[in-house]
Amino acid sequence: MSAERYNRQIILKGFGEEAQQQLLRAKVLVIGAGGLGCPALQYLAAAGIGHIGIVDDDTISLSNLHRQVLFTTADIGKLKVEVAAKRLQEMNTQIGIIRHPIRLQQSNILDIISRYDYILDGTDNFESRYLINDASALLNKPLIFAAVAGFEGQLAIFNVPDHLTPGTNYRDLFPVPPDKGEVPNCAENGVIGVLPGIIGSMAAAEIIKLVAKIGQSLSNKILNYNLLTQEQYTINISNGSGYTLPKTVDEFLNMDYQDTSEGPQGYIEIDASELAKMQQVESTILIDVRERHEVPVLDKQIYTQVPMSEFSAFLSKEFYQKHVVLICQHGIRSVAAAEALQEKYGAAKKIYSLKGGIVKWRGHFLRS
Amino acid sequence: MEIEIISFGQISEFINHQKIEIDGIADTDAFKQHLEDRFPALKGIKYKLALNKNIVQENTEIKNPATIAVMPPFSGG
Repeated sequence: MSAERYNRQIILKGFGEEAQQQLLRAKVLVIGAGGLGCPALQYLAAAGIGHIGIVDDDTISLSNLHRQVLFTTADIGKLKVEVAAKRLQEMNTQIGIIRHPIRLQQSNILDIISRYDYILDGTDNFESRYLINDASALLNKPLIFAAVAGFEGQLAIFNVPDHLTPGTNYRDLFPVPPDKGEVPNCAENGVIGVLPGIIGSMAAAEIIKLVAKIGQSLSNKILNYNLLTQEQYTINISNGSGYTLPKTVDEFLNMDYQDTSEGPQGYIEIDASELAKMQQVESTILIDVRERHEVPVLDKQIYTQVPMSEFSAFLSKEFYQKHVVLICQHGIRSVAAAEALQEKYGAAKKIYSLKGGIVKWRGHFLRS
Repeated sequence: MEIEIISFGQISEFINHQKIEIDGIADTDAFKQHLEDRFPALKGIKYKLALNKNIVQENTEIKNPATIAVMPPFSGG
């Protein structure tokens, strides 16, 4: 170890050589190399965490760059894990970076997280968050939970007991995931880049504190942070009841994490070429479920606008068309709308959702 | 009874940070009912209450004065 590299933190009162050695021995898995993962990875690597794993199966896109600060414009299209690993390794040549360019699933998550001491959840969807929570609880791995919405963030540490409470987990707060469309995500709702920067950095700080055994950790607490007011509100978490947390590997493998790509569904996800064909089919209505302020604005002669905020009113009315194509910005809200219509009409109407949304098929919409 | 209400995320779009003077609310179940009657938008979404900074896991007596936070789950990253 080069003591000079870490000199400024080693000389820190209450930190020292022993804490630095503990960082170098620690194995931390960062799940999601996005807005939260990037700053967390930078500080964990710079601080000298000895083994850092990165999980992400996504590639870099232009709209990532305002918050995913490890990446440059030239990196667009490349795997996040590859670019992040290269940057971090250049920054700190003394640590090991392990690439996991995969999507975590029930079948592979236990194997991967069992190799690490601390897990940071910086993902962007509830399916992943419940999967990671349950797997971490099952293997009793300290889990640092970081999430953002709008101008606010949440940060918590699970599976780490304190003097009052045994380790808590995310299901002690929210026993089951919200329904699809109930909570907007960053892709749908927007996020200011610096917010995940702050929350991701706080997550890295919590990991460093846990590893070095300094300060008071957020174990069994959830911190709510508001960027607009700079206010923090910390709530104590206690053990809840009445929820299902898998207690064995078999139970875990039999849980339903509602992976939409595999789940049974009555509606059909289509691409732009299929959308073009649908536009020629008689008795077809094309519905844009985005809110009225969203851009690009589509031709209202072709696309009927029914924002999600007005969708329940729309559901109470009848319409004659047999084919319904739902469209939104990224193809997430349109799935929620498709599910709602499917529930109402069953086989009486054919329901379609444009996968990837307007952003993915921008060319199609600019032409029409 | 004086109750300070703190809200987060999408819930703060329809429940402002406020102090209310209210009688007849003895416990957190009654408060939850009151809140959902007054703000029907709450009924459709998942949220958790915290009474004086402690997560409410079962019906809990509310003593005057109280601070109750209304917290939704966040998933963004």
